[in-house]
Amino acid sequence: MIFLPLAHALVTRQDLPIPAWLFAWAASIVLIVSFFALSVAWRTPRFEKERWRPLGAGLSRLLIGAPAQALCGAIGVFLLGVAIYCGLHGTSAPDRNFAVTFLFITCWLGFPLFSVLLGNVFQLFSPWRAIGRAVGGGFSRIAGQRPAHLAYPEALGRWPAAIGLLAFVWLEVVYGASGGVAVGLSPHVSGVAALVYSAYTLVMMVLFGVEEWCERGEVFSVYFGMLSQLSPFGVKDGRLGRRRPMSAATHWATIPGSVAVVIASIASTSFDGAQEGAFKAGIESLFNRFVDAGLGLATSLRLSSTIFMALTFGGVALVYLLGVRGMRTVRGAPSLKTLRIGFAHTLIPIAFAYLVAHYFSLFVFQEQAQFTYLLSDPLGTATTDLFGTASSGVNFNIISANTIWYVQVAALVVGHVAGLTLAHDRALVYWPNYRQATRSQYWMLAVMVAFTCFGLYLLSVTGG
Amino acid sequence: MILPLAHVGHYLWILYVLPVLIVVFSIVKTTISEKRAAREEERD
Repeated sequence: MIFLPLAHALVTRQDLPIPAWLFAWAASIVLIVSFFALSVAWRTPRFEKERWRPLGAGLSRLLIGAPAQALCGAIGVFLLGVAIYCGLHGTSAPDRNFAVTFLFITCWLGFPLFSVLLGNVFQLFSPWRAIGRAVGGGFSRIAGQRPAHLAYPEALGRWPAAIGLLAFVWLEVVYGASGGVAVGLSPHVSGVAALVYSAYTLVMMVLFGVEEWCERGEVFSVYFGMLSQLSPFGVKDGRLGRRRPMSAATHWATIPGSVAVVIASIASTSFDGAQEGAFKAGIESLFNRFVDAGLGLATSLRLSSTIFMALTFGGVALVYLLGVRGMRTVRGAPSLKTLRIGFAHTLIPIAFAYLVAHYFSLFVFQEQAQFTYLLSDPLGTATTDLFGTASSGVNFNIISANTIWYVQVAALVVGHVAGLTLAHDRALVYWPNYRQATRSQYWMLAVMVAFTCFGLYLLSVTGG
Repeated sequence: MILPLAHVGHYLWILYVLPVLIVVFSIVKTTISEKRAAREEERD
């Protein structure tokens, strides 16, 4: 009799009714079925026009009027100030300091959710935009004219935002990687980084103008703004309105560098998920080589992680570009550049899906901390109890491991089906013959299946 | 006899790559046959 020692060979963190890899197969089948359903039932473009309809003027004034903008901006400035103060003067324990959780979890993960549901809410709360507008308004009153700015270099586009996005995630997951806690970055470094970034942003706003910099260079405005394109709510000419969900995304990527922003957002989430799982052995191997070459431990770890992060960005970009290159083989295809830009928005739902899948459980757990002990004792020094919740803890049983897994799988599947739908819709613009359009999307189907399986693999290895 | 399968989990990624390979293979095959059919149509 042959004894197979498989007891610990194929374990996953979840006690699932079927193996985790079968979910990847099931998700792939869902995508393939969706693809064929789209090719049969979706024969004219539907997302190119937003079908924007204004909401009531009173509601618009209440939610996005000058008083609301001033109030939300002041809240944003106040909270940024609190985060910087806590970072610089609070405890050095990241999980007890308000700054780290507030900046890297509440804002970084909370704004994407609200952006997709409600529209570009960060525009209201952005502390830098609020300061920039207040200073600009003050200048106009004193000088009697609007401040003059440099012309923003068109070719630079959204590249500063793409690089800044990678830098922000690098700071969190590479520079701050210390293991054991959700975000290992020291609160002091978080505070200093927030100060430096604020100074940089305000200088850029002075040079190029507040709205111009927010549209193209300011990392968080660009990133949250990108995700808000999926929302059924948007602002036009100062008026709040409803529109077809995801339709605004179709014109988002026309500014240079937009493709890099959306690829950077997928790559950074992927790397964060893979760092402790799929890439762990590779990072360790590279780390040992650097140590053997005489580099210090921290430098070796950061260097090896940085290389893997860059490779992840390159890998995600390569998969997308292969999909685009595949479309070029279909008769009547526009130029490669047109396709590369024209289909970039189809990755936005995937970027959001990756974010939900990878950080859903972290968000649920850490927000308990944010709204209990971190709010009551923001410095983490056990000297204050502002709301009487300083001694509260995080309830890790609030959601089960299986629930987390199902949310992750659902997010990935829905995100990729949405991406596939946007891609099919755009293909109908470039190839009015729906058969040709469908043919062009074979390769995007492969891209979506690849991203889905990759995402599920990362989750199955690290458990999210 | 004991088969050395204790580390088979390290190769689990293959199961995640397979759907992608199947889709890519199908696309290549479909594209080739469609192009061949189009060429034959043009010749006729």
